[in-house]
Amino acid sequence: MTSKGFTRNFRPLEILTEDEVEAIHRDTLNVLEKTGIRVEHKGALKLFKQNGCKVDYNEMRVRIPSGLVEECLRKAPSSYYFKARDPERDVQIGGNTFYFEPFPGMRTVDLYTWKPRPATEKERDDACVILDALDSVQCISPYTPYFEVEGVSPVMAIPEGVAAMLRNSTKPQISTGHSRDSEIFTIEMAKAVGTEIGMNFNMAPPLTAHADIVEAMFRAIQAGFPVWLTGGVAMGATGPATLAGATIVNNAQNMSGVVLSQLIKPGTRVMSSHSLSFAQDMRSGALAFGGVEGMLHVAAFNQIWRKYEIPRNAGIPGISSSKTMDFQSGYEKAMGALVAALSGSSIIMLHGGVYGELSWHPIQAILDDDIAGMVCRFIEGVEVNDETLAVDLINSVGPIPGMYLDKKHTRDWWKKEQFLPKVADRLSYPDWIKKGKKSAQDYAKVRMADILATHKPKPLNASQEEEIERILGEARQYYQKKGMM
Amino acid sequence: MDKILENLRKAIREYDKEGTEDWARKAVQEKIDPIKALDVMTVTIREIGDAFGAGELWLPELVGAATAMTAATPIIEEEIKRVGATRESQGTVVIGTVYGDIHTIGKTMVSTMLTADGFAVHDLGINVTAESFVAATNEHKADILALSALMSTTAPEQRNVIEALKKQGIRDKVKVIVGGGAITQEFADSIGADGYDPTAPGAAKLARTLVGK
Repeated sequence: MTSKGFTRNFRPLEILTEDEVEAIHRDTLNVLEKTGIRVEHKGALKLFKQNGCKVDYNEMRVRIPSGLVEECLRKAPSSYYFKARDPERDVQIGGNTFYFEPFPGMRTVDLYTWKPRPATEKERDDACVILDALDSVQCISPYTPYFEVEGVSPVMAIPEGVAAMLRNSTKPQISTGHSRDSEIFTIEMAKAVGTEIGMNFNMAPPLTAHADIVEAMFRAIQAGFPVWLTGGVAMGATGPATLAGATIVNNAQNMSGVVLSQLIKPGTRVMSSHSLSFAQDMRSGALAFGGVEGMLHVAAFNQIWRKYEIPRNAGIPGISSSKTMDFQSGYEKAMGALVAALSGSSIIMLHGGVYGELSWHPIQAILDDDIAGMVCRFIEGVEVNDETLAVDLINSVGPIPGMYLDKKHTRDWWKKEQFLPKVADRLSYPDWIKKGKKSAQDYAKVRMADILATHKPKPLNASQEEEIERILGEARQYYQKKGMM
Repeated sequence: MDKILENLRKAIREYDKEGTEDWARKAVQEKIDPIKALDVMTVTIREIGDAFGAGELWLPELVGAATAMTAATPIIEEEIKRVGATRESQGTVVIGTVYGDIHTIGKTMVSTMLTADGFAVHDLGINVTAESFVAATNEHKADILALSALMSTTAPEQRNVIEALKKQGIRDKVKVIVGGGAITQEFADSIGADGYDPTAPGAAKLARTLVGK
């Protein structure tokens, strides 16, 4: 039994011609072979060298022959199971199916002043409970979602966050694999509760892999966990300003990760993440989160990686440049999510992110649940068969005064055809006035209170709880010994 | 002489790195006062910074000009050293991207703007530990310590550096400024930084204000 996910029932959106896909593929291989990737990790360089790559140890540079890249792209599985703590919630990744996961934020945000502040431990745990409750969230993503929590040392943010996720949700989880050996404890905790955790590895654009992420990748793969290869470029700053050029840099980064993962252990489950490619805003220097260029990039990226038959993760729908929950955050998130789903993402990050990665809020996650619902309904498409065509019915109802409201066909079908948003305002105008002119945000607050009052995630058993505490203690000792806390 | 300096200025304004280097070399060959040449360059980059601040220019122009200026500066500085002249420094800055973060662009832009503005800048690069920041602050007797962090996961490391300064008892000896994609004024305040600015020219102005110039 697995979590259902959402299935696209029609051809995916394609924005490149076959020739254009081929040109990007060819030029990506050219960059990998000619310029290569800076990999700041001796063990990885050695492994590349043993497998026929040109390695310059001084420059920490590996140049990867095209044949090896293509071989490794073939070795990576096109679909796979990803385990949850509750086996009923395992997900099957790949093909036409896709899932949603939240987008993290460093802090929580005040809903009146829009000032971010560190979350409390209770707010972090409540956030996990809400994500566990929302049906449109099938996986829980790194950082839990907060990673600046009052009273928690920065080095303990990831281990404490993973513990909070495991305690408060039984959904499949993804954590980060590039933060000061935190993956050692992430792996231990996942194993202690009999599950696995997808490990996220952020490349540093352009064309660089920091030592920490490579070491973490070795550890995750040796533990048998799937790896999320996350790249992204700031178009015009850490990658070319052109969409085609930026796609090449991002692809080269992710492909080098595919190669390394398959060299460490052939058949390792990988997710190629477009995650963080945006245009650079040339005024503020900030990334143009929610910009339409990111959406074009995700569509091109999905088209190319579908061809490689490697599952794809999209991060851009989760982020908006708006500092509040407003018109802008609504259209940026909704457009991003729809484009990602239409073009064939396997997992889409969406819920809860308020501005960039700076803040997260459960109310936003609940609003995003409605966006996810609309996207999923769209993706299911239009069902066409004798019953839905309803031609006999149309002929029997005829013109006015005929109507459909009293027909069995309507009672049978309307709920299958319509998506019912949970917090959108759909009242008539007089009702809206009568009920106090409430907005979607007001309804989201009510829904949040309902969830927290009623949803009780399956807790860990006593021995699992004990193990988690023991591992957290081990982590604290580890960082104290290193003088990091 | 005026023609050479005018061309030097023009090359920076046209974001022409090779041209700026060529005119700087010509200025040295023609024995133009290197202090004067450096002043022309500094004024030009400030004008460009102001135009950026006013919304007339965009980042690619600002960075293009700063790159041209930075490439030509050593040529003039070498000449200043050779003739034994001195140029009054605005102050000493230690700058770097914090531990765990290897993003370089924003930090290098600030470093460039500070150099252009007449600060003595010690750029420690990327992935710099708190201990290295503390050691360099002591060694160079820095007036300003500038910390960069792009990622929201590494932003909290800025707090660690400030804590390390406190532990060493030198927090009050240096002004700490912070920046990077993940940083806001509220965050800067909450970790006890002395200043924050979202832009590179703004960071240079902030540094000048903090050292009282």
